[in-house]
Formats: sequence, C-alpha cells, structure tokens
Amino acid sequence: MASSGFTRFMQGYGRLTIFMIPIGVAINFVGGQIALLLKLPVYLDSIGTILVGATCGSLPGALVGLLSNAINSITSPPTFAFAVLNVAFGLLAGYFGRLGVFRVWWKTLLSSLAFAFIGGFCGALITIWVFGGLAVGGGALVVGALRALGMDLTAANFAAQLPMDVLDKVPTVLIVYAIIKGIPRRLLVKLPLGWVYLGQRKSGTAKQVPADASRA
Amino acid sequence: MTPGTLSATADAYRRPLSLGNPLLDLQPIAMVTAITSLIVVAVASPGWALQSAVSVLFVVIAFLAGRGRSYLATILKLWVAVGFLLFALRALLVKGQDVLVPLGPIAVTREGIQDGLVFTTAVMAICGGVTLFFAIVSMRRLTLALERVGMSPRATYVVLASFQSITDLGETARVVLAAQKARGIETEGNVLVRARAFFPVLAPVFITAMSATEERAIALDARAFNSPNRHTSVVLLRPWSAGDTVVVVVALVLMVAVVLGRVVGWF
Repeated sequence: MASSGFTRFMQGYGRLTIFMIPIGVAINFVGGQIALLLKLPVYLDSIGTILVGATCGSLPGALVGLLSNAINSITSPPTFAFAVLNVAFGLLAGYFGRLGVFRVWWKTLLSSLAFAFIGGFCGALITIWVFGGLAVGGGALVVGALRALGMDLTAANFAAQLPMDVLDKVPTVLIVYAIIKGIPRRLLVKLPLGWVYLGQRKSGTAKQVPADASRA
Repeated sequence: MTPGTLSATADAYRRPLSLGNPLLDLQPIAMVTAITSLIVVAVASPGWALQSAVSVLFVVIAFLAGRGRSYLATILKLWVAVGFLLFALRALLVKGQDVLVPLGPIAVTREGIQDGLVFTTAVMAICGGVTLFFAIVSMRRLTLALERVGMSPRATYVVLASFQSITDLGETARVVLAAQKARGIETEGNVLVRARAFFPVLAPVFITAMSATEERAIALDARAFNSPNRHTSVVLLRPWSAGDTVVVVVALVLMVAVVLGRVVGWF
C-alpha cells in the first residue's frame, strides 16, 4: 500500500529529493516576496523551480513548478493557467543541470535566454489562447497601452512579455548559480545531480540518506 | 490535570474530530468533488447568468459553512482587482460593429461588452470555486483523507510541507533582511543598489534551508515515516456518510446534465 505511484515515481531520486521539493516551492515564494519588498521591477518567482531542477533533476523541478503555481492560485486563480510554464522551467533546468550548464557562469547566463523564451514566448501564447490576449497583471496594462497605440494584439503580447522575461530570468539564473556554488559538498553528494557539481562522472544514483530499510 | 479532564481529553481524540459545522464536517474528498463539479458547470454553461448563479451559490455555501465574511471579502477584492480589469480590457479592446462609446483609436462596442461579460463571469466563477476550496477545505483534513484512500504519505508530506516552508522561510528571510540592513547593506536607493541587496539576503537563507533538509529527513525517519506500514494519526476523520454521498451525487448529476446539455444542444 505504501508503495503507491508517487513513491515509485520518486524512487530514482534518492531520499532527500522529497524534502527538497517543499523548499523549492518556498524559495519560489520568498524570492518573489523579497523582490516585491525591495521594489525590484522583476518577479524572481522561479528560483526554486530552476534550483531544484538543476540539483535534483527534471521531474522534481517540474513538481516544484506545478505546486508553486497551484499554491499561488489560492490568492490569484488565473495564475494556474501559467503553471505549464513553471513546469517547463523545471524540466529544462533538469536537462541543463545534467549537461553541466550551471557549473559555468557564462553558460548559466546563456541559459537564461532559453528560460526567458519559454516564459515570454509561451507565456504570451497562453495569454492569447486562454485569455484571448488580455490577461491580468502589470503586463496587461502594457499590452493595453501598446494596443491603443495601434499595435496588433498578438504582437503587443510578445512585445510586452519577451523583454520582461529576459529581465527576470537573468538575475534568476545568476542566483541559482550562486546558490549552487554555496551548497556544502556534504549536501551536494546526496543530491541526485550533485555529481555534476562535484566534478565527478555519474556514479550510480544519489547516496541514500538515511539508510534505506523500507525498500528491501 | 485531574483524572477527569485527562480522560475527557483522551476521549476527544478517540472520536472523529468535528469542526462544529455540518458543512465543514463533510468528507474533504466529497467537498472537493462538489466544488470541482460546480466549476465545470460554470465553465460549460453558455451565458453569464448561470455562471453568475454558480458564483452566488459559492458565496451561499461559504456563509452556510460559517466562513462567509472572509470569503466575501476575498472574492470582492478579486472581482475588483481581476474581474473588473478583465471586463474593462475586453469591453475596450474587442472589435465590433456596434460602437457604443468611441474613444479615439479604441471603442466600447456591444460585442466587447457581451464578450467581456461572458468571459469575466466564467473566470470569476473559477476564482470563486478555488477560493471557496481553500476557505472551507482544511488542507490537513484533505491530505489525511487522501492518505486513508491510499495516497502515499510522501506525496501528502510534500504538499503540507510546502505550505509550512513558505511561512517558515518567509519569516527567516525577513529576519535576515533586517539583520543585513543593520550591518549596512543598502536596501533603498536606485534599482541597482536594491538588486544588489537581493543576494546577501537570500543566498544564506536558501542554502540554510537546503542544508536543513538532511536533518529533517533523519528526524522523520526516526519517527518511522518511511515505514511501509499504514501511518497512524492523532486526528480521526468522520467516516463517509449518507450526507457525503448525497452531496457528491447531486453535484455530479448537475455537472453531467450541463455538459450533456451543451453537447446535445439543449441550450
């Protein structure tokens, strides 16, 4: 009974991953809150997704994204329509992590373009498909203004969202890079993708903590 | 504690936990099914009238559950912040033949108002349902119920711990922000100065949180979290009752009727 789908799904990721997912969700939120508190003009609300994706793998990262948007929709239900973006961030971060992108600062910086493309381009697509081009939030007012200036609705959405997302994802990936640099080695060694950052070849699965008796 | 109160306390835990309201005491899974069905009814219904009726029904349910005041406050805020904006943007920007109020390059058209009304009431019915869910369904009770029907305790842990971590980490981040301010890191000024404060505040908080997972894993393992046996709980949920069945059946019948009606073309 205990070995349900979720358990089997998480089995390849080591014991610590289950505990990293809630932390990732919280990092997404707190990042966004502090960005608001410091009155920064960016969201910075996908740090946790990319961080967990980069250190634990694609699926945990995607799960962080899904949960974050689900919880976010408590206060702002339309956010849930954009959950697929946050899921895609997690999947992509896992793939990049495996490739070792987050080991080098300039590769990390370049990866922000890919994330911004998902966030900006696909975000605009969702706004157009789900909300008919007119969603809510700060972006909507920009879209409305561009539209009033005579720009096509579709073009206005892309013009408003792509630059905003580049501006958002560059600091996001830099923070992820800085945090990964700061994670102690004794923790990294237990994370599924930790071997990437320890400069080792993949040595089987992540080390299990604590000793795994239940799986026998 | 006298022996009397001690046995009374112990006895309270032997009985299913009641929240003192028949609606709140419904099985969480029944509540979720009912709310989801009503949202589907709203989305599948053709015009704004039925959609608004569902929104009103949500408010009524909230009041019956004794959470009406806070629910109404939240939902009215959503109507003003989200609903009005959605409606206004559509009314202004959707192109149509029947111009009511020309405003330079844009215009308020009859089609725009019609479109905005239908779209806004649908989105707001969804918002109302989601808000109602979080207003009357206790996350702890829902996850407990899900565990009882066979969901992995790990999955429910992830959900519950996410909520808890948001509160905890937010608190820590604010403390660290204040501490770093006291050490002279500037948090006011132009954008670059403020952006630079972001790193020294968040990097330590996040790294500490990640490191703490290790201890948490050990702590939970010490409490037999990873045991393959069924987990016990302090709180007992009321068993599935006839009332739960009625709620679920009525909601599902309503949903099927509206969806079928739409497909077959009754309205």
